[in-house]
Amino acid sequence: MSTDDLTEQQGNTGIPVVQRIASILWPSFIMSGIATGLFFTVFDPLELTLLTGHADISRMAVYSSGFFTFWLLTSSTSALTCYFRRPCDHVKEHR
Amino acid sequence: MKDDQAGTLPPPPAENPPTPAGEEVYASHQKVYPREVHGIFANLRMLGVTTLLSLFYGVAWLPWGGRQAVLLDLPARKFYIFGLTFWPQDLFYFAWLLIIAALALFYVTSLAGRLWCGYACPQTVWTEIFLWIERKVEGTRNQQIKRDKSNMTPAKLRVKATKHAIWIIFSLYTGFTFVGYFTPIRELATEMINFNLSPWETFWVFFYGFATYGNAGWMREQVCIYMCPYARFQSAMFDRDTLVIAYDNERGDPRGSRKKNTNPGQAGLGDCVDCTLCVQVCPTGIDIRDGLQYQCIGCAACVDVCDQVMDKMGYQAGLIRYTTERAMTGLRTRIIRPRTIMYTVLLVVLSAGLLYAISQRLPLGLDVIRDRNSLYRETSQGLIENVYTLKVINMDERAHRYKLEVSGAEPGLTGLELVMRKPYVEVPAGEVVGLPVSVRVDPIELKRASNQIKFTLTAADNRKLSLTRDARFLGPVMSR
Repeated sequence: MSTDDLTEQQGNTGIPVVQRIASILWPSFIMSGIATGLFFTVFDPLELTLLTGHADISRMAVYSSGFFTFWLLTSSTSALTCYFRRPCDHVKEHR
Repeated sequence: MKDDQAGTLPPPPAENPPTPAGEEVYASHQKVYPREVHGIFANLRMLGVTTLLSLFYGVAWLPWGGRQAVLLDLPARKFYIFGLTFWPQDLFYFAWLLIIAALALFYVTSLAGRLWCGYACPQTVWTEIFLWIERKVEGTRNQQIKRDKSNMTPAKLRVKATKHAIWIIFSLYTGFTFVGYFTPIRELATEMINFNLSPWETFWVFFYGFATYGNAGWMREQVCIYMCPYARFQSAMFDRDTLVIAYDNERGDPRGSRKKNTNPGQAGLGDCVDCTLCVQVCPTGIDIRDGLQYQCIGCAACVDVCDQVMDKMGYQAGLIRYTTERAMTGLRTRIIRPRTIMYTVLLVVLSAGLLYAISQRLPLGLDVIRDRNSLYRETSQGLIENVYTLKVINMDERAHRYKLEVSGAEPGLTGLELVMRKPYVEVPAGEVVGLPVSVRVDPIELKRASNQIKFTLTAADNRKLSLTRDARFLGPVMSR
């Protein structure tokens, strides 16, 4: 079965909730991981905390909160994309 | 052979075989109960599973010259991989390595299909262990289905609670091992026993444990179908010569149950006895007889179970088998083809390049940071002085003593004088040393307000261990 057939079958509804949630959280999780890796390769958390006057925060804490901040951003992007991809007919119905 | 095996034919009627895949994909999820299977491919998978799991749980405890052999020390920003130490500056090698890994995956896929999925993917490996635990606690596939349909009783509750408790403990240990690759695992174990893990360590143990429990206990084949990017694009690497698992339509159809010792030819039947065992063993719940499907992770459970049935019936094995599209049409499979040649060449070149680059890697780093507080100052002798902080990074396995020199990067700027506390800088293995230095020059030498200079750092015991970094030297412009 080709992907096109499947796309036709799925229509606008009937996509399992688990897939809908996964399609937002999962790609953003991967991207957040990459972003965290790249960002903290270039910037040492200790130097960042020194500059911002939070020298008491450990590197581990900066990495972790950095990862979740990135994840929040990337998952928001994914969610917004899904939201705007909804067909406009949907919007008309509510008027 | 166990009693839940392909013992009796035709199939046990009490069961509810999963809906064929095409209808199921975007319908609400139905739990797949993969039947236990034995055979050569199941054994190969168990070999893969045990090897990979032993590596994951074992390597964390390996010592290497007084430290952990594999330690991605994020807090110290150093990655130890056996004899090598990698620094954030080495991200390049890591990216290179990832490209090689991706190419290797493409290469294997184009040759042998989804071997990765069936035998080596962490999702398969952990799901296999979780299924094993489930079978030990809940019994065979039929017992599981029956129990799930029945009402909740104390006995059912006990069985379910036991299963989940074992799953959770195993998951948490997995999370602990995972964190053990980032924090020295022996220290982590001591902290754990004394209940004084740091909040972030605790968090990541639970986070990873939860992901393991969720993915291997609950999500299982849905991860492969909905979440895995590789599952989506692997078909791009497929061609008519790629190894796939296929049901031999010609030989098998028309399908139908029959008594043993019936001559299928006379009964107007193919070799497929329609026992549906191939569907029951499938971890993604598809029917391989419907043809190649993207849900098929190539685990060959159906091959194993069908071969047993064929053996029982006295038919030739291989009704479902590893084959290629070309072989199915009676042609010879080509292993050497443009695609595989290209992948081989790329892999060899990139791997050789990486090995060469790592062997030539200069285990020395130098950062030059100008003093931000003042542009320049004049000494009592009337010289112009600039102040710098040098960060010398010794990435080598042993300590070195380095000599620092400074010179003008452009012609005409001479007479630079380096002032430091000692004539050399000594850096222990794997350490970073901050070195304040100042550079002085007679203002008569300065033609411009901003001048390019360079610092050269050379190891006293090895002249090849040498590095040059540019810096700016600021001063007043002399009017003449």
